Amino acid sequence: MLRVPPLEISDLITAADPATGRRLPVRRAEVVERLRAHGDSRAARIVAGLPADRDGVLDGVAVDRLLISVHTEMQRLSEELRIGERLVHLLRPLFTAIRASGVPGPYRLVDIGCGLGYLVRWLAATGALAPDVELLGVDLDAALVGEAARLARDEELNCRFVHGDAFALPEAATVYVSTGVLHHFPEPALTEFFAAQGASPALAFCHYDIAATGLAPVGAWMFHRARMRHPLGRHDGVVSARRAHSDETLLRTAAASGMRPLLYEPRRIANPFCTTLRPVLGLRPHLEAPLRQALGRSSRRLLGPEQLVQAAR
Amino acid sequence: MTPALPLAALGVIDAAFSGFRAYAGRDARIRKHRANTRAALRGLAVGTVLLLAPAVTAVLHLLTAADPQRAYAALTAGGSGYLLPLTLYATAVLLSLAAYLLLPFRASTLAMVVGLGPLTLLRPLAIAAACLGALLNGGGWASLLVGAVAGAAMLSVEPLVHHHWYRPAHTVTEH
Ligand SMILES: C[S@@+](CC[C@H](N)C(=O)[O-])C[C@H]1O[C@@H](n2cnc3c(N)ncnc32)[C@H](O)[C@@H]1O
Repeated sequence: MLRVPPLEISDLITAADPATGRRLPVRRAEVVERLRAHGDSRAARIVAGLPADRDGVLDGVAVDRLLISVHTEMQRLSEELRIGERLVHLLRPLFTAIRASGVPGPYRLVDIGCGLGYLVRWLAATGALAPDVELLGVDLDAALVGEAARLARDEELNCRFVHGDAFALPEAATVYVSTGVLHHFPEPALTEFFAAQGASPALAFCHYDIAATGLAPVGAWMFHRARMRHPLGRHDGVVSARRAHSDETLLRTAAASGMRPLLYEPRRIANPFCTTLRPVLGLRPHLEAPLRQALGRSSRRLLGPEQLVQAAR
Repeated sequence: MTPALPLAALGVIDAAFSGFRAYAGRDARIRKHRANTRAALRGLAVGTVLLLAPAVTAVLHLLTAADPQRAYAALTAGGSGYLLPLTLYATAVLLSLAAYLLLPFRASTLAMVVGLGPLTLLRPLAIAAACLGALLNGGGWASLLVGAVAGAAMLSVEPLVHHHWYRPAHTVTEH
């Protein structure tokens, strides 16, 4: 039997015209019905409690406010799990490799599905990457992008945020990154997502998502229970972990980009208690050797499909 | 030695952490050291006031007891029994916190995943264990009462601070 992946409430309660970014009305009853049909009565109850107008259309302002507050709580998890440092551990050597390969700067890092832009703003605030790396965040949700930009202005951070779709990216990048986004896309969409980046002038991508281990849903439950207040955040947090793609799926779909697919800290060689999020990378082939050199000893944690098969033996 | 002082110290430190947690996840800015400190101080202030409740309960019990000396001895025994599980809990928290703050990000993630995260969820259980400790150590019902009031006070700090200062309507405008 085919296992139907569970649904995240936050994916269902907003809709935007991908071309214009304009908000489309969402009927509460339809979302509730869809969740019920999916067998998720708890999620259906959460949505049934959201405010709607007389025609049953979800109140856009209230939904925006709710998503911003849930994403603010989510940022706390990223802060506590030191996601910024985890990315820099790989991104710094990656830019070193790019510089060594002779490509002149300035470079641009684009965070796809940036939400409130924590990663980009953290990189800007800490200066963890060199000043020749421009920092940009893109998200499909206009309210989140607007709030990310406001937060960046508030702290006078040198980064930008634009509204855009992961499948029709508005800005070119040297390196595309994301955190916690891949599980939102089913396998065919994921293939398309990587392929679009492979067809772009980008030199690499490095997308972090929840490591699909047996521990992930339990850990996600515990963390969202301990750290998040709104039931929507708690619900979606656990569902994300259950939707996480396996290492094999990530490598297979990333290969469709035509770039060299690699996984950092795949399940077989990583301790699940230490690796909550791990990335799939795509590299222009000439970058692999300089990246491995820049990584030093950590390079042994970077595995391609053939090494993953070997590690399984 | 009376266990009142170490208990009060633990209570006040816990209140500061509760204040921090009440604010955490409510502000998406990157630099918030000062706001974190303010939240911890708010927790500390609220906790200090709330901790008067178990203190007053204990004093009232002593003032109304037929044999104050015996009542005092029982409360002291109960306090020591109460202190033991809390000390174990606090040690686990402090060790996890030190590992989290001092070690590199992988080990720090471990400290969060197996230490600090679950330990937050276990707070009510730690207080229940402390109440049991008070009873088992011969503290009697009076110790249990004081311990339960103290536990309720400690568990109330975070929701009170959150409600008073960090509800969404507040944080949108507070900068
Ligand atoms: C789980 S959140 C992760 C947010 C952020 N990266 C973080 O780590 O906190 C997923 C984000 O992906 C965004 N998203 C989903 N589909 C998208 C698409 N097709 N294009 C751009 N962003 C998308 C959502 O709006 C949401 O902000």
